[in-house]
Amino acid sequence: MTVAPRRADAQASSRGQGDAAVAPTSGAVWRRMHPITPVLKGWQIVAVLLVIVGNQVGDNVVNAQRFLSDGGWRWVLLVLAATAVVGGAWASLAWRMTSYAVDEQAVHLRTGILLRQRRQARLDRLQAVDVVKPFLGRLFGLAKLTLEVAGGSGSAVELAFLKESEADALRAELLARAAGIHRTTGDDPAPVAPEQEVFELAPTRLIGSLLLSSTTFVLVPALIGLTIWAVHVQEVAPVLAMLPAVLGVGSALWSRFAREFGFRAAISPDGIRLRHGLLEQRAQTVPPGRVQAVRVTQGPLWRGKDWWRVQINVAGYGIGKGAEDANVLLPVGSRTEAIHAIWLVLPDLGVPDPRETLQVALSGSGAEHGFLTMPRRSRWLDPWGWRRRGVLVTDRALLIRSGWFVRHLILVPHERMQSLALQQGPWQRTFGVSSVSVHSTPGPVSPMIAHLDSADAARLLTAQADRARVARAGAGPEQWMSRPVSGTADHG
Amino acid sequence: MSTPHRGPFDPDDVVWNPVSARLASARLVVAWLVVVVVLLPSVALGLAVGAVWSWLPAIVVVLVAVWITLLIPRQVRAIGYAERADDLLVRRGIMLRRLVVVPYGRMQFVDVQAGPVARRFGVAAVQLHTASVGTEASIPGLPPDEADRLRDQLASRGEARLAGL
Repeated sequence: MTVAPRRADAQASSRGQGDAAVAPTSGAVWRRMHPITPVLKGWQIVAVLLVIVGNQVGDNVVNAQRFLSDGGWRWVLLVLAATAVVGGAWASLAWRMTSYAVDEQAVHLRTGILLRQRRQARLDRLQAVDVVKPFLGRLFGLAKLTLEVAGGSGSAVELAFLKESEADALRAELLARAAGIHRTTGDDPAPVAPEQEVFELAPTRLIGSLLLSSTTFVLVPALIGLTIWAVHVQEVAPVLAMLPAVLGVGSALWSRFAREFGFRAAISPDGIRLRHGLLEQRAQTVPPGRVQAVRVTQGPLWRGKDWWRVQINVAGYGIGKGAEDANVLLPVGSRTEAIHAIWLVLPDLGVPDPRETLQVALSGSGAEHGFLTMPRRSRWLDPWGWRRRGVLVTDRALLIRSGWFVRHLILVPHERMQSLALQQGPWQRTFGVSSVSVHSTPGPVSPMIAHLDSADAARLLTAQADRARVARAGAGPEQWMSRPVSGTADHG
Repeated sequence: MSTPHRGPFDPDDVVWNPVSARLASARLVVAWLVVVVVLLPSVALGLAVGAVWSWLPAIVVVLVAVWITLLIPRQVRAIGYAERADDLLVRRGIMLRRLVVVPYGRMQFVDVQAGPVARRFGVAAVQLHTASVGTEASIPGLPPDEADRLRDQLASRGEARLAGL
């Protein structure tokens, strides 16, 4: 068995910015981004200004109208033009000062006009590679390459913008190097790993899922109630008062629709490939073993259709801006598709009958298939959910089942667990129960097993710490191609 | 003193190291400073109005101060840590009890911190960081020598067992 090169220097440099700037090897060439980059970035500055102006006008329509009719539109145009010129000049300068280089170990990026910054993404720590094509970039055939290296927020290296073909070739090259396939500069371009499609989301189902989402669940009754009230008191004020909320929900629904439109997932030797987006298109590649935790969710309105949503934690995607765009593995899908999504992350669940086990895990309750359940006395703390709660420890992963109203199933591979905690509050002590938290990297999934019998919880804590240690020792190397490739399990 | 009872927070074969009692002194000083700041206006109110009810805030502040004074030493005694072969255990809390298990191979970096008050009392805190923000594993109240020893020990053990994410 090959021993993976371990990150011996992680203590010193686990924060991306803290990395000592290592110069690229002599063979590497510094290259510039595509020359249209300043136009795209300059436009972004103007767009931000337009949004600010739009917000101001939205608050004050009457004043804005008066201002415009008084000849103020000339001023508006002048300010916009000035911003465009200044923004464009700044962006051009920034473009001239930005360059990147790729060598055996890392991708290097130099940026900054006044504050020069040098950043590198080490390929052996690569967590995900995304090719993002913003709407405007697509008009010019340009794309942005984002490398996530899990060094905390802002550690991603973003190469914006490259020609689409260049971005795709660079991604293939980086993935090949990160996989541990030795390549020297000057070789033929790395071949793109073959991929096999696993599922595709139809637009009709996406629209259906949004209509049946919890936002509409809250909004529609609220609107109906307000309308009835407005009719009753013969005033439009209540409905107008709701307008900002309606617009907010509408734009949230729209952005989710635009994000998840045309969602396709595929599996390749390079890992999971996800493609989605209506205006801005994103093609993600998450190499094998980079998914830290999975959560499968079903809201109450999706139960009739038996639809599920699958989200993942990937170190580097984190939480916050742009994260909800990246950490979805399946926006909405049937039970079979959800099981396929789990299979993408965990090809081997470590149980003899994975399908039946997952059925029970998704929608069952009780101790069937070896689930450890909560004691009956925990109903005082969790009167509805306690029956559904359960935890199953397999050879490969921890399965945590919960949720009575909104069903959840969380899976954490043993080797991906960070740390564990046992917690007990005063009420829990009264009933002799405790909770166990499994810490994962930042993301939408935070695994926790609530209200276990205290003795069970203590046993689980000890056993899980041991299992994680054994699993880590046996886990494949970070450079995924340097291990024997396991045959892909049959599915579907 | 706390009688050793084997509960879920007290696994077998674990010998807990207590933290320095000086941490209690450091925390009490900070707590009393806050109490004084709150107490002064309450007493001023009592003196200014002179009625019986107007002393109520001051009485409440004094009661809280007494309670905190009794609580803080107990809280400090409840903090413990243990170095096992493959992981570090940290436990704390009386009302809300918490026991964290951090595998050495998961540690990304170790911080040693000491604020001005802590330095005056000769205590430092060792904080462990993993790739998860949920790992709240901080050991306050270590004598500086012990803090340095623990940091070096954790760093070397971490390096030996470091696994990828």
